[in-house]
Order: sequence, then C-alpha cells, then structure tokens
Amino acid sequence: MTSERDAVRIRLTGRGGQGIMLAGAILAEAAMRDERYVTETQEYGPEARLGATKADLVVANRPIAFPDVVRPDLLLCLSRPGYLKYGRGVAPGGLMVVDDRIAVEEDTTAEGAAVVRLPLRRTARELGDEIATNIVGLGALAALSDVVSEQALAAAVAARTKPEFADLNARAVAAGLALGREARRGGRSAAAS
Amino acid sequence: MALRLVMGNEAVAQGALAAGCDFFAGYPITPATEILEEMARLLPPRGGVFLQMEDELGAMAAVIGAAWGGARAMTATSGPGFTLMQEHIGYAAITQTPCVVVDAQRSGPSTGQPTLPSQGDVMQARFGTHGDRPALALTASSVRGAYDRTRLAFTLAERHRLPAVLLLDAVVSHMREPVDLPPPPPPARRTFAALPSGAPRFGPRAPFVPFGVGEPTVVTGLAHGPTGATGGGSGAFTADTLRAVGEALAADPDVAAAVEAYRTEDADLLLVAFGITARAAREAVDRLRREGTRAGLLDLGVLWPFPAAAVAQAAERARAVVVAELNLGQLTLAVEAAVAGRAPVYPLLRADGGLLEPEAISRFAQGAATGEARAAKEAMAGA
Repeated sequence: MTSERDAVRIRLTGRGGQGIMLAGAILAEAAMRDERYVTETQEYGPEARLGATKADLVVANRPIAFPDVVRPDLLLCLSRPGYLKYGRGVAPGGLMVVDDRIAVEEDTTAEGAAVVRLPLRRTARELGDEIATNIVGLGALAALSDVVSEQALAAAVAARTKPEFADLNARAVAAGLALGREARRGGRSAAAS
Repeated sequence: MALRLVMGNEAVAQGALAAGCDFFAGYPITPATEILEEMARLLPPRGGVFLQMEDELGAMAAVIGAAWGGARAMTATSGPGFTLMQEHIGYAAITQTPCVVVDAQRSGPSTGQPTLPSQGDVMQARFGTHGDRPALALTASSVRGAYDRTRLAFTLAERHRLPAVLLLDAVVSHMREPVDLPPPPPPARRTFAALPSGAPRFGPRAPFVPFGVGEPTVVTGLAHGPTGATGGGSGAFTADTLRAVGEALAADPDVAAAVEAYRTEDADLLLVAFGITARAAREAVDRLRREGTRAGLLDLGVLWPFPAAAVAQAAERARAVVVAELNLGQLTLAVEAAVAGRAPVYPLLRADGGLLEPEAISRFAQGAATGEARAAKEAMAGA
C-alpha cells in the first residue's frame, strides 16, 4: 500500500456556507465512479457560517494510506478567508484555481505552481444563484486538471445534490467545464496574468 | 462490487444495523453527530427506537434501560459527552449490561477544539469510571474498519456482557472512502429463553436475560450476588465476576484479531499507532522501506484489553519501538509495559489538534532506529 507516487492531492477551500464539504463529497464520488481509489477528509472551524473550511482529497490508482493533504497538487479556492487559512503551499508544478475576486499574494505558491483566476462566483450568479459557485469551481478544476472525467463529475453532481437544483447544477457543471477548457486553451500563464 | 462513498460515521450506523442494533439514544456533539443523524433516519422505519435525550447522562441511562428491555442498544458521543457517561458506564459494568458506546475523539480537554481530532480518551476509555472493571475499547483507521469494529463491539458486548467502547477520531469519523457494505439485514425479533428458577442472573457465565422474561430480576449498582440480591458476600462475588469477565475478554481470539500488522514480518523498527495516526504511520513505513529501513506497523484495532502479546512478539525483533499518538503519552505507557525492555520505546506525541504527518513520523522513527535519541527528540520538537 503506497499512496505517494501516483497520487493527486487536492484541496478545496472556501468559507462555511459555500458548499465546500458538499464539493468534496461530489469530487470523491466522481473519482470513485472513475474507478480510482479516493479518500476525502474535511475540516471546518467552530463557526456555523462564514469561517474557513476545507476538504482534502487524495485520488490514486492504489490504496491510499494517509488521507490528509499537506501540499496540494490542485487547489480550488472560493474565498479570501479560505485562501488565508488553507490556501498556501501549493506543491511545485501544482495548480491553483481561484475565484477572480480574491486577492492572491504572488509569493504564496511554490515555484512553478500555476494560478488560474476564473470568474467562478460571477458565472454562478449569471446562472441564477451564487450558491452554485462550488459546482462551477469543480467543473473548472476537472477541465483544467483531468483529475476526474467530465461524465463522472456530472453523474456525481446529480447523485449528491437535491433534485430541485438539478437543472441549476447541471448548467453550473457545464459552465465550469467551459471556463476550465477555455483557460486551458489560453494557457495557464495567460490566465494567470 | 457495489462501491459506495461512505463517511466513517455513516459506516458506524451501517455496522450497528448489521449487528442488529434497534435502539439509539444520544445527544448531538461534533464530531459524532452524523451517527446520531443516521440512526434517527434509519431506525424508526425498521421498527427501532431513536431517542434524543436531554444530555449524555440521560443517553447512557437510556441505553442501559433499553438493553434490559431486550434491545441491542448504543449511543455515540465525543470526549466531553464520554466524560458525562462514565458514571453510567460503571453502572453497565457492574450490572453486566451489554451495550455499545462510540466516542469520536476530539481535541480537549473540556470544549477544547470541537472540530479537530485527538486521541486523548485512551485512558478515559480504560479508567474513566471509578472502581475496577473489564474494559473493552476498539478503534478503526478506515471507513471499512469503522463498520467492522462497530459490529465487533456488539458481538463482544453480548458475548462478555459489558459496555463496549469504539474509539474513533474526528478525521476517521468524517472521512469518506469507497466501500462495499452489504445492505442491512431485515430487522429480526430477538428471543430470550427464561432461566430456570433459581439459576444465576449474574456472574461470569450467566446468560443475559432482560426484564419480562421468566422470573423478575433485581438489577442494582450495589455489589450483588448471583440473583442480584445485595449483602452476604456480594462484594467478593462482584469482584470475582468482573475479574473473570476481564480475563475471558483478554483471552478472546476476536480481540487479538483486531490488531492489524503491516509489513512487520522482518521489521526491526516497529511503529505502534491507531486511528488516523496509523494511516500516517502506514505511509511512514513505506517511506522508511524505500530508504532501506525495515520498518513495520502494528495498527492497534483494540486498545483495551491491551494486546500485549502481539506488541511483545513484534518487539522481539525490533531495535526500536516508536509509539505515535495524538495525546501526551497515554498508549505509550501500555506499550512500554508490553515491550518490557526488549527494545527502547520512543513516543512521538502531539496534542494540539493537528495530525502527526507521515514525514514527521518517518523522520522521527529513523532517528530512533539509529539509536540517536537526541536526534529523535529534536525531530519530535520539529514535528
């Protein structure tokens, strides 16, 4: 059992109420549907709302020993408090996807880590509800990294969210995937500028 | 295989149903609340009973009452609630009441850091109630383990007539992993045979027969004789009963089987851990092996009765033993006693709500293996 060599370590962070816990469960469900090994752990503060929260995932082709993420290869960040508490220390060569309204200090990511700033919250608002920001973010992360397949992500979103939001969430996945694909075509460095 | 993504606390509820649990009483507390929520959702449609009590004292009392009413009963809590339950856990012990208590450990003492993990209830699970009693405390380091150990807790609680404890931690409780769990069996009605008139109700081999079956039974927290009556040598009978139950528990092969050995066959550096810390230690073992150190891990799925034979046997070959735990050295005491000088024991401890990470463990263990106690201490200071 070793998780180190082929594993992808992912961290999702935001503030309480943004659906980071749900996003972690959805991404883990998608990885499982892709027939990969996955662990998902979560951490939140004592605050019921607005405090920084995180979900850590390890996705691998072999059983995973330690589920906590020390240096994420992929980081999705939806809020400034989440960035400040959990958003540092992306691994070298890693990727950080961050909402474009969040200020990110340049010296907080490792050498060679890419920062992709995308209008995640604005896109969700334009779809009808900012509550879907987490789903838009997952779509963008999937398109930029291939950590889960698009089909598995869409199926996981449908399986893990309430039926009354199925239409909004399906559009949010599609919009997030489109954002990610566009950023990928444009090159990460262009998106980071 | 039909894999499902399941949280540790959900697996506890599934394991309880698989064991035939039909009664849950509790009071919500992070990080155990999902167990209560799952039981509230699952039990009533199966004809079971869910009670949210006024506090943890009431919860444990309800569990004992339900057991004497013929139910397979459990509760779930965290450190602060576990403390409040200790009075009644002692009552369950002296009345030989089978029941299950899950403690999802969080950083303490007191309210502490409610959302952060800890392994600080090791000694509370052993000695938290006053007086001497047989203690059973199982642990789990995976979602599948949480399911299996919950089932085992019910099995052992009934076999030995005692309160069984399952110690989880905030990370394992909230961790999701894909698992293939069988669907819960349909609810089954339990039947009990009445005891012959005058047959012992209490004692190491007396079967548990709840109220309403056969002749009335006296149940009391006072020391009592085989019929439940107090006075006349009941102190010696109770002490002998509890000691005999403890000895039978310690000799139970299902208890010993809860210890999971990982790469220990040729290991001369032995790591001992449980729960989330065992997951980190497992990765540390792989790192050490890649660096050429023959490391191995005992993931202790049972803490009490302490699996001293397994630890002593693995320590025979060891140049050093490292105990990693999220407290200030509770399990270390038992490991030192079991190792009994066969090898030096180095504790790697952390109690601030954070985790011991694989790299910190492997670095510390490497120092311990090379006999550089000072280096090991320095590594610990930097962990």
